[in-house]
Amino acid sequence: MSLRGHETIDHTADMGIRGWGRTPAEAFEETASAMFEIGVNADGLVPSRRIGISCEGDDLAGILIEFLNGCISEADVSGTVLVGVSVGALAERNGKWYVEATALGVPVADACDRLLVEVKAATWYGASVLEREPGAWVARCVVDL
Amino acid sequence: MARVELKKVHDYLWEIPKSGEMNVPGRIYADQASIDFLVSEEKSKEWDALLQVRNVACLPGIQTASLAMADIHPGYGFPIGGVGAFDLDTGVVTIAGVGFDINCGVRTMVVGVTREEVEKRKEELADALFRIVPAGIGSTGSLKLTMKEIDEVLVRGAPFVVERGYESADDLAFVEEGGVVEGADPSCVSARAKERQFKQVGTLGSGNHYLEVQCVETVYDEKAAAAYGVARGTVVVSIHTGSRALGHQIGMDYQSVLQRASEKYKIPVRETELVAAPIRSPEGERYIAAVKAGINCAFANRQAIAHLVRTAFKSVFGLDGRDVKTLYEVGHNNLKFERHMVDGVEKELLVHRKGATRAFGPGSAGIPDRYRAVGQPVLVGGTMGTSSYILVGTERGMEETFGSAVHGAGRRKSRKQALREYRGEAIIKKLAAQGVAVRVHSKPGLAEEAPGAYKDVDNVVAIMEGAGINRRVVRLKPIVCVKG
Repeated sequence: MSLRGHETIDHTADMGIRGWGRTPAEAFEETASAMFEIGVNADGLVPSRRIGISCEGDDLAGILIEFLNGCISEADVSGTVLVGVSVGALAERNGKWYVEATALGVPVADACDRLLVEVKAATWYGASVLEREPGAWVARCVVDL
Repeated sequence: MARVELKKVHDYLWEIPKSGEMNVPGRIYADQASIDFLVSEEKSKEWDALLQVRNVACLPGIQTASLAMADIHPGYGFPIGGVGAFDLDTGVVTIAGVGFDINCGVRTMVVGVTREEVEKRKEELADALFRIVPAGIGSTGSLKLTMKEIDEVLVRGAPFVVERGYESADDLAFVEEGGVVEGADPSCVSARAKERQFKQVGTLGSGNHYLEVQCVETVYDEKAAAAYGVARGTVVVSIHTGSRALGHQIGMDYQSVLQRASEKYKIPVRETELVAAPIRSPEGERYIAAVKAGINCAFANRQAIAHLVRTAFKSVFGLDGRDVKTLYEVGHNNLKFERHMVDGVEKELLVHRKGATRAFGPGSAGIPDRYRAVGQPVLVGGTMGTSSYILVGTERGMEETFGSAVHGAGRRKSRKQALREYRGEAIIKKLAAQGVAVRVHSKPGLAEEAPGAYKDVDNVVAIMEGAGINRRVVRLKPIVCVKG
């Protein structure tokens, strides 16, 4: 397995997603990439928009779901198809987790012929963020389609 | 080893006996093959619908049984096809019992053209529906609303859309609840939810949402069919969609609210989405008021799309709006306050239906006068390549399932498996050979919704009829299918 990457996982009605990396932030970025690839074939698309994502949660799994849902709602409101995200900060302060990220994408109109399936929401079903071994983080959840 | 004990009650009903922390038994409508499939899935230790039936049975205040209709498959906390009714004083409300697509449902309208006319011009009709009804990711509706007006949609539902010129043709009398529920409170819905929705009223969405032009292929119950105004060969059009982004955002927003409520009121959380709050608590009341806003939003959405569908039929056949009459509209992701018999006593309950349709029997209040003698129409979506059904609720269904029914075929194969096995282009060709004109915004999305990815809808409705819970009225064959 490479140091970072992502994949989708079988689920009867919807789709599981999993991302891994050397840090929780990398695992978050990869999990988001798995989710974006459900919605669009981004091969060759050059991002032209940057959208700030800012969320908080009670724990790492909770902030993962808030982060993914933040991406979905920001994309929806701005009419953007997201193709990638860069996590600038992911940290715990006073018992709460915070994430600051920048998502990259293109206007919906520029990706009309590449759209696949709408992701309605990231769910808490099976959500987890774990350090499998030192420097190997894995994040996962199921998205509702 | 199975985590859930199962006992056969009869050929179409299985029970998870009450044990441990269960407050009631679990009951699953299924035949032997269906139950074998569910047990085999259970052994995979993930995505387990039977365990979800048992978990729901552990919730406080649940009445009679935790139920699953024959289209059962794994959901989030509740199984899809799940029904749970709760005592108002001791019971809870849970996000899992509603889901993210609040009041997703089906409207079926009877069209005043013959099957032969539609068959001759189905390609033209498919093009018109595809062009006129916004669908797919990022689509926006023709109904232009301000952020302030979206609050009116949330309170007034379908009647608001009618007043904005999206004609009714007496639709509202044939929509569940007349197209609006009381008690919706926009202040319980976040600004983000409204911001996401105000451009989306009148959009179909994507995934399993669809528009289908169908014809009545088989009549099983002449009396009920006559009451519903259909006969062999009648053309109908069905709209399957819900509350779109607003419902999704309400689900996201209230997850943490009900998580904290579960801790505050000491309600054990057996699966993350099965968070709950007492119905009579401030948290529960706010969530219910938000869900009601989502319910009204879905009613408004289907009313707006119904208008666009009429526009499409007018453009192709020159029909007047009154030539496309609503047969019925009913949701299948809902919370409803309803009166039912429990242990011989009638009481008001909060009924959760997640991927299950309300199916009131003959004589029930709350269904149109024209249908009261035969019972409420139940609109069951099948697959693009097979068929859909109109069922009718029964007295036995009122006794056993709080008047509930299946909502569709239910998935059998995962989306990944469907993507491996099917191609959108091939599906379109195959369906064309079967006489179905398909228009789709996403061909990979179409592959995920391939007919082979679903259970056999004929079998699903046969199970419910065999159990005496619902009865078949007519079988519908697709002619045109438009997917998001």
